[in-house]
Amino acid sequence: MSGLTFRLSTYPDERLDLSPLTPSRLAATPLAEMLRIVVGTTKRQLKVGDVFAVSGQPGDTVTIQGGSEHLDFVGAGLDRGTLILDGDAGAYAGRKMTGGELHLRGRAGAWLGSGLSGGLVTVKGSAGDHVGSTCPGDRFGMTGGIVVVEGNIGARVGEKMRRGTIIARGTAGTNAGSRMVGGTIWAEKGFGPGPGTLLRRGTLIGAKVDQMLPTFADSGSHDLVILRVFSRFLSDALGPLAPRSLSGRAHKFAGDLATIGKGEILIVS
Amino acid sequence: MTANGITIDDTFAEAFGMSATGVIITADSPKWARQAAVTMSGFGTSVIGCGAEVGIDSELKPDATPDGRPGVRVLMFGFSPEALIPQLKNRVGQCVLTSPGSACYAGVESETRIGLGAGPRFFGDGYQTAKRLGNKRYWRVPVMDGEFVIEETTGVVTDAVGGGNVLLLGNDREGLLETAEKAVAAIGRVPDVITPFPGGIVRSGSKVGSKYDGMVASTNDAFCPTLRGAAKSEVAPDTVAVLEIVIDGLTSQAVATAMKAGIDTILKDGAGKGVTRISAGNYGGKLGQHHYHLRELLP
Repeated sequence: MSGLTFRLSTYPDERLDLSPLTPSRLAATPLAEMLRIVVGTTKRQLKVGDVFAVSGQPGDTVTIQGGSEHLDFVGAGLDRGTLILDGDAGAYAGRKMTGGELHLRGRAGAWLGSGLSGGLVTVKGSAGDHVGSTCPGDRFGMTGGIVVVEGNIGARVGEKMRRGTIIARGTAGTNAGSRMVGGTIWAEKGFGPGPGTLLRRGTLIGAKVDQMLPTFADSGSHDLVILRVFSRFLSDALGPLAPRSLSGRAHKFAGDLATIGKGEILIVS
Repeated sequence: MTANGITIDDTFAEAFGMSATGVIITADSPKWARQAAVTMSGFGTSVIGCGAEVGIDSELKPDATPDGRPGVRVLMFGFSPEALIPQLKNRVGQCVLTSPGSACYAGVESETRIGLGAGPRFFGDGYQTAKRLGNKRYWRVPVMDGEFVIEETTGVVTDAVGGGNVLLLGNDREGLLETAEKAVAAIGRVPDVITPFPGGIVRSGSKVGSKYDGMVASTNDAFCPTLRGAAKSEVAPDTVAVLEIVIDGLTSQAVATAMKAGIDTILKDGAGKGVTRISAGNYGGKLGQHHYHLRELLP
């Protein structure tokens, strides 16, 4: 596995845009030119060479050592290969990703995976608000791919999400899946208040809901084959990262009946 | 040629290029997965009269199906992908959708796809919902025992083979049938093939054409033991019955492997059951693209 390593040499005192640091964007870039890539977001125009020590050769993998909540857009636009951040990430990690794998070994900020359409994002810690959500100017949030967060996820995960899968091994915050039009969000330890606000289509799966909206109808307990298909899909796609297998048993709440109501919240034990 | 006291004709089976598709049917138990598969395979013996040749390829353990339940793989053969579309829609719609606890998934993977859930989903009358997982899309159709889950498309191949065959001739009708059953069972263990006729066995082999207008095929009089002496006969004086095993496969290699498995079984068990001869059906080699010479399939 060949690749480049960017070691954070100084703690950035401004927000950095690391979207240029992906395997395909660096594939044909000489080292000298790489060091001159602007990653700063102020008029100081900080360059890669000002904040990173670079080693290795361009290849399938980019590793960033040393994290900071100021590192924004890590893996944004990633289309192939693997990007590893050995630390915390700021906002917009994995934004508009279309393929490849992004592994964040710390925490992630807001808008993780916003506009994601393909590939895999994993987060060792927790993630902020708006994971997989729509950004101002976007028509939809996530439209494909998989996001796995080992910890908790903040508010409004999957807002206007259309396709794809988001998994939180912990909890999801308030208003998860608001205005969602498709896709699946699985919060293993449950949802905060008001999940599925104006949910049109799509599936929210969790152990519990803190406060169910009155516009969700109790459809009863069922054995849903699609949950078994979902589990098999995750097992194939994630391997050892896959969460536990679902039996298919779930208590279904249909909604949001304030809209077309074709979505669902499934409470699984 | 003779082996184990059985004569093997120096001839060949003549088979044809076909299109093929397949589905995996799952259910709560192997019994109900098989029930749906058997129902779907009904009236699917010959593409000439049934529109498609349909049969069970294999039973699948839970770890080999998309939903982790017991399953059965059904293969369907037809003249073209276009000809398979209505057959698939009708058979799945009437025989699988209706079967308790069933679900239906793609059973052949190829780049060329045809609709699988594209028709039956409308049974949901607007209450059906879709779930896209990776590059596959599934429909969830509400039904009276829960939900019918069906994948949107399945693969179709155009280099499949239909009409591989083995003929068994003998002097004991019951023994002949018993041997043919064993051969069909052996063929059933070969992947990617079906034997679409009842129990995998044909007793009414046909020839092309008829003395009657409008009949595209009629009885294979040369292999009818009761016509010996009255018509030009291919059967020996002690032959009382002829049975045929017809094999369709996703590949030519699969058909050859299946024929070999069948012949091996007949040679092993047949002599003591009254089998005297093995032959194969062909049309002189001018109609079918695939020729399977028996001498090349002997153990």
